[in-house]
Amino acid sequence: MTTPVLNRILYVEDEADIQAVAQLALEAIGGFSVTICSSGREAIQVAPGLSHDLILLDVMMPDMDGPSTLKALRGIAQTAATPVIFMTAKVQPHEVAQYKEMGAIAVIPKPFDPMTLSATVRRLWEEAHG
Amino acid sequence: MANSSSDVMAKLQALRDSFAAQLPDKIQEIEAVGETLCGGKCSETEEDEALKLIHYLSHKLTGSGATFGFGAVSDAARTLETFVNGMLDHATRPTTAQRAQIRGYLEGLQQAAGKHDHKDGANAGQESAIPMPRVPENNGEHRLIYLVDDDPLLAQDLALQLGNFNYTTRIFHSLAEFRKAVRQAMPAALIMDMGLPDGNGANAIMEIQEGRAAPLPVVFLSGRGDMEARLAGVRAGGAGYFTKPVDIGAMVDALDALTAQKAPAPYRILIVDDTPSLARYFALTLRGAGMITEVVTDPMDIMRALVEFAPELILLDMYMPGCNGLELAMVIRQQEAYVGIPIVFLSAETDLNKQLEAMRQGGDDFLVKPIQPDHLISAVANRARRYHILRSFMTRDSLTGLYNHTTTKELLNNAAGLAQRRNTPLAFAMIDIDHFKSVNDTYGHATGDRVIKSLSRLLQQRLRKTDIIGRYGGEEFAVALIDADATRAASIMNEIRVSFEQIRHRVDGREFNVTFSCGMAVFPPNGNAAEFNEAADKALYEAKRSGRNKVVVADSTMLSGN
Repeated sequence: MTTPVLNRILYVEDEADIQAVAQLALEAIGGFSVTICSSGREAIQVAPGLSHDLILLDVMMPDMDGPSTLKALRGIAQTAATPVIFMTAKVQPHEVAQYKEMGAIAVIPKPFDPMTLSATVRRLWEEAHG
Repeated sequence: MANSSSDVMAKLQALRDSFAAQLPDKIQEIEAVGETLCGGKCSETEEDEALKLIHYLSHKLTGSGATFGFGAVSDAARTLETFVNGMLDHATRPTTAQRAQIRGYLEGLQQAAGKHDHKDGANAGQESAIPMPRVPENNGEHRLIYLVDDDPLLAQDLALQLGNFNYTTRIFHSLAEFRKAVRQAMPAALIMDMGLPDGNGANAIMEIQEGRAAPLPVVFLSGRGDMEARLAGVRAGGAGYFTKPVDIGAMVDALDALTAQKAPAPYRILIVDDTPSLARYFALTLRGAGMITEVVTDPMDIMRALVEFAPELILLDMYMPGCNGLELAMVIRQQEAYVGIPIVFLSAETDLNKQLEAMRQGGDDFLVKPIQPDHLISAVANRARRYHILRSFMTRDSLTGLYNHTTTKELLNNAAGLAQRRNTPLAFAMIDIDHFKSVNDTYGHATGDRVIKSLSRLLQQRLRKTDIIGRYGGEEFAVALIDADATRAASIMNEIRVSFEQIRHRVDGREFNVTFSCGMAVFPPNGNAAEFNEAADKALYEAKRSGRNKVVVADSTMLSGN
């Protein structure tokens, strides 16, 4: 099976600092095209209108957290099958398993290294499609 | 890559600066909520909301702090987050003791942020700001070498060999070509053949140097080794003179020295004073003089600071609640590792007898408060300098300048502890040069030493400053890659392995190549530093057993207990 192209990424993260550094890391280093949403609700509104190859979801967000956002996205036809990677500071092995059960292809631990984030995303993408 | 690496670094630095600027506000925000909570005038619902908010805000700070290189802030925020999380799990109203504890953690957070309140202090190397990439192009401008030689084969070969040591070489076959290029961009250093078809290398260099404020670092290359030729090289400002065939090890040594950017490491000063404002004042004064400082306001916390901060001098307040300076000095001195560390007492005590008593307990000097900033700086700097030199004899291997066995082990232990607390990965690699005995037997010990030096140099060039590189014994090296997972660490070590294999060692006109085997364990799977060490050892054995010249990562069966 050939790996599909990874180009457009939707990044859902409530913190402006992290948004900026992740956008820089993904666009400048990885060459991806990135859309940023600051909340799960915003993501649900924005995502169906744009076709993304991959969604990066922060787990801990106020109001609507990562897992609820994922559930909501799965209920929308356009994003029902879009691969999702969770980003979180808590990465106990059993939690990773839980997140994967929810349908995430992988979990990226925070804090991430801006210089290697793109490579990590690409590697996980390839692993998920390998 | 859409952008050049240096461009990305500049942008990351800008982001980091802006994060640093906002940091006080962020902490203020958490403190305000803490204030509400600790004021004790809230309803149960309000308390619950305040706790949740503190948890949320500290969680955010844990992540962003570490991403932007504010490790201490991140750690302090994590402590607070974990504590509040525990409270939320129990769903009972906060007790007075818990409120006090939160207040303490908030102070810790403030203190951690205080370390960064001066941008210069943070940049002086207190913590690596944003992780530096390992790619050679990052410092490409400093590593660019111009090589002027009319022999294309020799030039190609030299460029290839230098490439193994992270130098990028541009080759010019004539002076005319070189003159044109040098007008556009200056290299970090220049290797110039003395005799070229269109002129004399030494003369050409003299011309170029005349028009420059700072001379261009240059080494000469020649088929002649006579005094006259060497003298011509020196007169043209040559920093080195090499006869063909070139000894690559010596050439890299010379280039390393010429292109070195590194300033001597700043002194590390631990300040123990129970008055935070005073401690901060001392810290600022010393940091202004280019030193790195760590402040401990609770004397009971000193053990951890000793181990993790590894100070080169301790500035100790005489009178503190709980445990006074004299007792503390004795506690420190009773440990073998700290017998030699300079301790300087600071106190308002003017009674000479009491001062002498303090010196008897292991103090090296007694400074009376209030103290002039320049007096403090010179008293501290002088003692720290001597200890710095002394310690480098104790901690470094004399042949390679790498950490020796004992120090490597200590540093590894510390790194493992830190990785565990921060929940970040740590890779530990054991490296052993293959068939080293036969190198010694065939070519002699002096050549063996050169091989060891070439590997040590390669490791230093390819790994980050924050990584730990030690010579474990004879031909054995140990490396700890901070914050590197198995995939990344294995790929880095493999690159180094391939580079090392390609280095051609030369002795008496004979050439040979040497390889190494590497065993690696990545922390944390579980277990402690010793087990982790053992796993790397087993992986190394496996690398040797299965044919050498390879990197093997320990699997779960190599962890002890299995």
